[in-house]
Parts: sequence; structure tokens; C-alpha cells
Amino acid sequence: MTKKLSPVAQKARDFYLQQASQDDRSWTQKLRQAFAENAFPTQKDENWQYTRLTGFLQHSFAQVAAGSLSLDALSDYLPEFEVIRLVFVDGQFSAQLSSDLAINVKGVSLTVVSGIEAVADNSTHNERLLQEPMAVLASLQAQAGYALTLDANAALETPVYVLNVQTQSNMAATVNRIALAENAEVTVIEHFVSLTGDAVCAMANNEISVAKHARFKQVVMQQLNTQSFYFNNQFIEQVEESVANTFFASLGGALSRHQNHLYMDGDNIESIQNSACIATGKQTVDSRTYTEHNQLNGMSRQLHKYVLDQQAVGVFDGMIRVDQQAQKTDGQMDNKNLILSDTAKMNSKPQLEIYADDVLCSHGSATGQIDDNQIFYLQARGISRNKAIQMITQAFVLEPLEDINSGVVRHWVEDKVMKTLNQVQS
Amino acid sequence: MLLNVQNLQAQVEETEKQILNGLNLQVNPGEVHAIMGPNGAGKSTLASVLAGREDYEVTAGSVDFDGEDLLDLDPEERARKGLFLAFQYPVEIPGVSNKLFMQTAVNAVRDEKGLPELDMLDFDEYAKEKIELLEMRNDLLERSVNVGFSGGEKKRNDIFQMALLEPKLCIMDETDSGLDIDALRTVANGVNALRSPERSFIVVTHYQRLLDYIKPDHVHVLYNGRIVKSGGFELALELEENGYDEIIQQHKDA
Repeated sequence: MTKKLSPVAQKARDFYLQQASQDDRSWTQKLRQAFAENAFPTQKDENWQYTRLTGFLQHSFAQVAAGSLSLDALSDYLPEFEVIRLVFVDGQFSAQLSSDLAINVKGVSLTVVSGIEAVADNSTHNERLLQEPMAVLASLQAQAGYALTLDANAALETPVYVLNVQTQSNMAATVNRIALAENAEVTVIEHFVSLTGDAVCAMANNEISVAKHARFKQVVMQQLNTQSFYFNNQFIEQVEESVANTFFASLGGALSRHQNHLYMDGDNIESIQNSACIATGKQTVDSRTYTEHNQLNGMSRQLHKYVLDQQAVGVFDGMIRVDQQAQKTDGQMDNKNLILSDTAKMNSKPQLEIYADDVLCSHGSATGQIDDNQIFYLQARGISRNKAIQMITQAFVLEPLEDINSGVVRHWVEDKVMKTLNQVQS
Repeated sequence: MLLNVQNLQAQVEETEKQILNGLNLQVNPGEVHAIMGPNGAGKSTLASVLAGREDYEVTAGSVDFDGEDLLDLDPEERARKGLFLAFQYPVEIPGVSNKLFMQTAVNAVRDEKGLPELDMLDFDEYAKEKIELLEMRNDLLERSVNVGFSGGEKKRNDIFQMALLEPKLCIMDETDSGLDIDALRTVANGVNALRSPERSFIVVTHYQRLLDYIKPDHVHVLYNGRIVKSGGFELALELEENGYDEIIQQHKDA
């Protein structure tokens, strides 16, 4: 049964359907069917109540030929430390701008997929993905993606840096796979930028599997211009005694939505999901997590911090589901929001669904303005009011970054976050 | 004269409740003044008004600090000119390290004096001296301001800041509240280590106990928003003996 959509939404649906991958594999057919029936969520959908797609639906983001770029043009974005670089320009892989994919580290394989293969099949997450309208859309619009595989005991010290850059108004969607075998370790940085002032749409679906004793570390940074749209769904599967540590920074975008679906399917698993979101003007930023504790002794931590100015809208939704089997779960989820104006708005929905009886779970959300007592304390020591506000706001928003293991990566992210914050506050 | 408070009258900004009712106080360089009084007398209000808290509005009177009109200055300007308030309840500032806090503050004060800024290394050396002087923990600088600090540690942190900023006038707002004897003694030792002919202290306290360790030159009793009695250290002992009742009776309807 086809959902009732507004004319604008219908037009958008038809546009993206026509642009969707047309191959006849059963999974692709399923995706097309799901999209044709449900297309876009409306405000009536509980999970999209505060995250309005109206702006997005006005655009028809087309897949275009990749613009040509020199490495110089990217110098502002590339990290100074050594990385294995993958660059996708306008949603398509650029061998020229990327490092040699033949990585000379035993047990590490990095490949790029394109075209039909981008719409990967055989995933544990297929059914879940079908529930997420924007993940369905991303799958159907994807033209490329990367697959990073680490064999047992393979530890890649050099971070893998994936830069998604858009040179013009278009749709750039990637579908990516990261698989860590037993005791493997890797750090992945995913960066989304726009070289144009026009609205772009960046989408991604990531499927990440973390085997026993493996350690997955990730930083995702959305730094698009303030006209643009970002949708990312990550499906992370962990098995026993593994660690997954993922951080998301939202620094731009008119509408930015980043969603983790994390499954702790084994004993003694550790997961960290943090985010730092800064928005001003009329930006909307939505960072959400769905976490399942399914076995014993799982430890999960989340710290999500938002700084909202002018008429920005922040949305947070975090669900921790603790299965009946998941005794001795230790799950903490914290959302703290700093409002710098009278018109900014925060919508926060932390949720716990607990079926086991021997667990330690907490969730919290606090939204407010800067504590006047803190400002006065700094003033009473000779620091000007403006500087005091800057110091406090900076300290506030940098806290989630403390869990980024690598010092160089953390400093690089801090730098970008602080620059964005300074722009907002000036 | 370092501080000259004349007929200071102040009310709570929001409720317009009058707290200070014509307070007079003169403090010379190098002196230690204790201000005691029952609850609600206006002790903390005095400290807050001198430091420049916006919650209070001065309705009459004047405050001259080292030749300048104190009431005309922002809180940060007052601090830069050498006024220091040791808080009754020092706040926590998560994510801001003691180092960042103090380096910024020290340089603001130096800037006022026309001195060059201290860079990271110079500041570290400078701070190390003071840490040793006050027997503070070595990792103090790396920690966030007052986060995870006990009540005593927070007060000691304020004393440490006092040592770094080298103020002319230190106002200690009920520093002893919530401290046990050991913590009290440590705080007092810190204060005593900073006493000098160029530095004055106004110690606001409810209990006499602190004054055993920080011996004041002058003791004043604050009641109903004004100083109703002044004396030497013996006055403090007298109050310890007799409490505030007698004085309250005498000045109740004043």
C-alpha cells in the first residue's frame, strides 16, 4: 500500500526512483519497491517529527559526472598526519586523488566498488535497512563505495581517511563495508565537504562488523556548506570482547542526520558512541543512536553534546535496548545541550528498554544556557565576559572528543570543531 | 587607604530587597579585617557587591579602591586591578583546565600592569613555585577547574589562584563554611603564606574558629546590612563566648 505523500514529496519520489539503480537483483528490487511504497517520512512519523525533510524535498539532486579537481584544491581539508587516502568526488571514486589502494600491510585489503556492486547484498542488516527510508534511498542512489577488510590480527596503524567532496549541486551516495576479523584494529576517518556554495546531498550507508577482540575506531565529520543535506546510516555489528568507538561531528549542513544502529551480540563488548553538533542560523542537526545489548557484561557509553545558536534546531534520539540475556549490562547515555540564543530549540529523547534485571543503565538529557556562575567565576579572575563564554562553550563541546584515542586525530578534529564554534560565536 | 566603603546601600536586583543599609569600612594595605555576623546580615552580599555580581544593585554610597571608583568597573576590571574574591561555593567548570584558566587570568592581570604575557613554559615555572609553596597536588594544572574536587580542595584551589594573581585585596567569602579542622588549617596556612604589607584581607566568616588561624587586625560585626561594632581580636573571642544575641538585641531596631 502506497503511503500518502504531498505533491512535492511525490515529485521527489518519482525523480529519485527514475535515478535509482535499475539492476534486477532481488535485493535491488526490494529496495525499489520499499522506496516506491514509503518513499519519504512525514512529520507524522515519530522518528522524523522534528527533522523536517521539506527543504530537502524541494531539490532534485541529480547524479552527475564528477568534477575535476587537483589535490591542491583539497589542501584545506586533508589532515597533516599520514593517512591512507580515499577520495570520492561527487560520489565517484577518484584514483588520481587517492592513495595507492594496494596497501602494503599484511592482512589489509582496501577496494572500491562502483556501479551495480555498490548496492551490496548479503547483509545481516538488510531487514533493518528497509526500515530506514533514507538508508533505502542512499542504497538506490549509490554509485560507489569502499570495502575495507582486515584479516585476523591485522592492525593498521595509519588511519584510513575517506574524503567525500562535492564540487557542484548533486547527489553523492556511497555504500561502504568495513570488516574487522579477530583481533584486528583500524582507525577510519570519514569527512564530508563541499567545494561549492550550492546545496548538495551527501548520503552514506556503512556496514561495519567487528569480530572477537577486534578494535574499531572511527571519526565521521560532516562539514558541508549550510545549504546542504547529509544522511548517514551506520549498521555496526560487534561480537564478543570487541571494542567499537565511533565519533560524529556535525559542523555544517542545512539538515544533517547521522544514525548509528549498533548491535552488541556477544559477551564483554565495549562500545562508545559520541557526537558533537554545532548549529546556528536555521540549521537542523539530528544525531541518533539505537544500541542493543544482547549478551552479558556489555559496556556502552554515549556522550552527545549540542551547541545551538540563533534559530537552529537540534534533535537527539537515543535508544538502549537491553535484552533479557544481557545481565550485568553497564550502559550510559548522556545528552547535554547548550543553547546560546532565545530562539534555538532542542528536542531530546533518550530511551531505555530493559528486559534484564541485573543491569546498570542510565540516560540523561540536560538543556540550558551557560551557567552565569561559571561566567562570573572567570570574570572575577580578570577574564572578559566574551572570552569567558568562549572558553566555557569550547570546553563544553570538546568533551565528547576526549574519547578519540589517537592524539593527532583528536587535535585535528578539535581544531575543526573550534573553528566552527568561533565562527558561530563571532 | 586601599579600600574605602562609604554608606554602601545595596539590594537584590530581582526582588529589590534591601540588604546593605549604609555600610562603612576602611581597609589599609597589609591589614586583615574579619567581618562576622549572624545569617542574613549581609556578609555574602558585601563580598558579592565588591566583586561586582550583577544580582545586586547598589542604591547609594561609594566604594573607593586604590584611588578608583570600584562600582564603575566590570568584574573583570576589578580583578585586573587587584581585587580577588575567594568564593563560598566555587563552581566547577568542566573541560576548562586549571592551567588554561589561570594562564588566561594571570596574563589578563599582567596586561593591565603593562607586563608581557607569560608563555606556556614561563607560566608552568611560575605556577610550580606556587604549587610548592601551598603544597598543592602536582597534577592540579591538568585537572578541570574544581571538577571532582572536595569542598576543601575547591577552597584551596581558590587560594592557589590568589597566589598566582597576587592581588592587593582578598575578600574571602565564608571560606570556612563546610570545612573540617584539617582543611581549615590548610586553607589558613595558604592565606598566611600570602600575607604581606602590600596585601589586605577581608575575611567574611560566621564562626570564630578560622580566626584562630588567620589572626585579624580588626574585627567587625555586620548586622542588618551595616557594621554595628568594631574592635580587635578580642571582639571575636567575645562573640565566640556570647554569640550574636547581645549585639542583635542592642541593634535590633536600629
